[in-house]
Amino acid sequence: MKTFNPDAIGEKLLRRFAGRTSRRSIISRLGVALVAAPLFPVLPVSRAEAAKPDRTPEAKTAFARNAQTKDDTKCDYWRYCAIDGSLCTCCGGGVHTCPPGTEPSPVSWVGSCINPEDGKAYMIAYRDCCGKPSCGQCGCDNTDRETQVYLPQLNNNVIWCFGTSSMEYHCSTAIMIGAA
Amino acid sequence: MEPVRSKLAVMLLAGLAAVSPALAESVVTEAEEATINTLEPPKTGWFFVKGGWGTAGSSIFDSATGKMIGMIATGRDSDMAIDPAGKVYYVAETIWTKGNRGTRQDLVAVYDAKTLKLLTEIPTPGRLIIGGLKTNFVLSDDGKTAYDYNFDPASSVNVIDLVKRKFVRAIELPGCANLIPNPGVGFSALCADGTLATVAVKGAAQEITRTEPFFDAAVDPIFANFAYDRKRKQAVFLSYTGMVRTAAISAAPAVSEPFSIQQAAGLRAADTKPLDIAWYPGGSQLMALHRPTSTLYVLMHMGEYWTHKQGGDEIWALDLASKKVTKRIPLKDPVNNIEISQDDAALIMVTDRDNNGKVIDAKTGEVKHTIENAGGGHITVVEPM
Repeated sequence: MKTFNPDAIGEKLLRRFAGRTSRRSIISRLGVALVAAPLFPVLPVSRAEAAKPDRTPEAKTAFARNAQTKDDTKCDYWRYCAIDGSLCTCCGGGVHTCPPGTEPSPVSWVGSCINPEDGKAYMIAYRDCCGKPSCGQCGCDNTDRETQVYLPQLNNNVIWCFGTSSMEYHCSTAIMIGAA
Repeated sequence: MEPVRSKLAVMLLAGLAAVSPALAESVVTEAEEATINTLEPPKTGWFFVKGGWGTAGSSIFDSATGKMIGMIATGRDSDMAIDPAGKVYYVAETIWTKGNRGTRQDLVAVYDAKTLKLLTEIPTPGRLIIGGLKTNFVLSDDGKTAYDYNFDPASSVNVIDLVKRKFVRAIELPGCANLIPNPGVGFSALCADGTLATVAVKGAAQEITRTEPFFDAAVDPIFANFAYDRKRKQAVFLSYTGMVRTAAISAAPAVSEPFSIQQAAGLRAADTKPLDIAWYPGGSQLMALHRPTSTLYVLMHMGEYWTHKQGGDEIWALDLASKKVTKRIPLKDPVNNIEISQDDAALIMVTDRDNNGKVIDAKTGEVKHTIENAGGGHITVVEPM
């Protein structure tokens, strides 16, 4: 089974973020976070098996075996394999769109989810929409490859509203980053 | 209409006459004053139960009676710690000047243990807003220093002098979180590279050392809500697959070889492969250490790997000395949080996602009290020092 490479995920996300923001303070803090990146584990299993990922049903998690691609307002929608919180699709937003009056977090945690249509794994960024009280609709808590806060980019309990004008959590989106 | 009114009046008078002897006994004849209760110092039989996600307040329940006896104002996503001397409660929290907006303020609020009144606030430069973690904000054994984890999104630890009630300084700690007080040294923390880091705080400087890697943070992570025994200076770690390790905490911590909690129960060890149905640990605060007997109580459920947030269907009692599961307590409904009183009574408290709580006798498995709306957050008890 192909697993995460947190180094690559962190680099990809931070590069995207760095190209978009002008917030000096958060960039400096992210710079410190980048220093930490080499400390994240490099998984030999992901390198060894990267050439031929096993996508048989036996290698898929319970979520991946049961995921669907039609309804993004349901917790079993394929991109939501590691989401925690209210789905923005149920709160006046979309799968990559924040509801009115909220602000997307520039950083996020990530998941590696398998699309049942093509059997391939994709990297998904769960960007929080911030600045309003908790939406409360469509609460989901999926935990494929979700880890603990010492590996924060793979932890879905952290409120990721860093760098926004308010740390108040409203809902979570699931943005396609690319092939995992 | 008039005759009906008369009849009603007669009936009312008759009714009053019938109950008047009972009323007379409870009639208060003198004017009353509004009074306020106070609390005794924190006791081993008390459970401090945080409200569910997004709510404020930790309710205090007496395990002997199941009754609520007070509440500490633990703001949303705050972290609470009990002064080892029993004189105050500390709450590390984040508030905004205009409620949900305005200027962010991070601080440690200090509450008097007797009156629960706010004594003072210690401003800090930031903290991780998460809720549900018991290893975010920890006190040294002597109660003189607090370590408050910060993530913004770089990782650091704020050192707070609780005697002077002042923030001292921040120590950068890349790639690590989840703190353990390390007496006479500083603190230790779990790290993403699979090590345990130890930060020796030396005045304005510090020395950071790490153990050899002993777990894989992405494949079989160790739960961040681990337990720590201050008397034995021993941390107890549990991984997603159910591997148990102990760590002797010192300037150079030593981590034991792991063993499987499932094998300790006479079952085969669980692994990380899909479609492998086994008993796995899961929940939020999923383990509680009864320090007097060195017994670890773990919420376990049947399922596949990556179900580490699923609530427990059973409580397993693991004797750490013999490495045997000595008891399995079935639960009627799944629960997410567990804690145990640190005394001979060994009363367990569990809470579920609907905020309901139960007090269970660890020796017999008997449900002693059922408490509606107890709170869905984590549970704290007084630790033996």
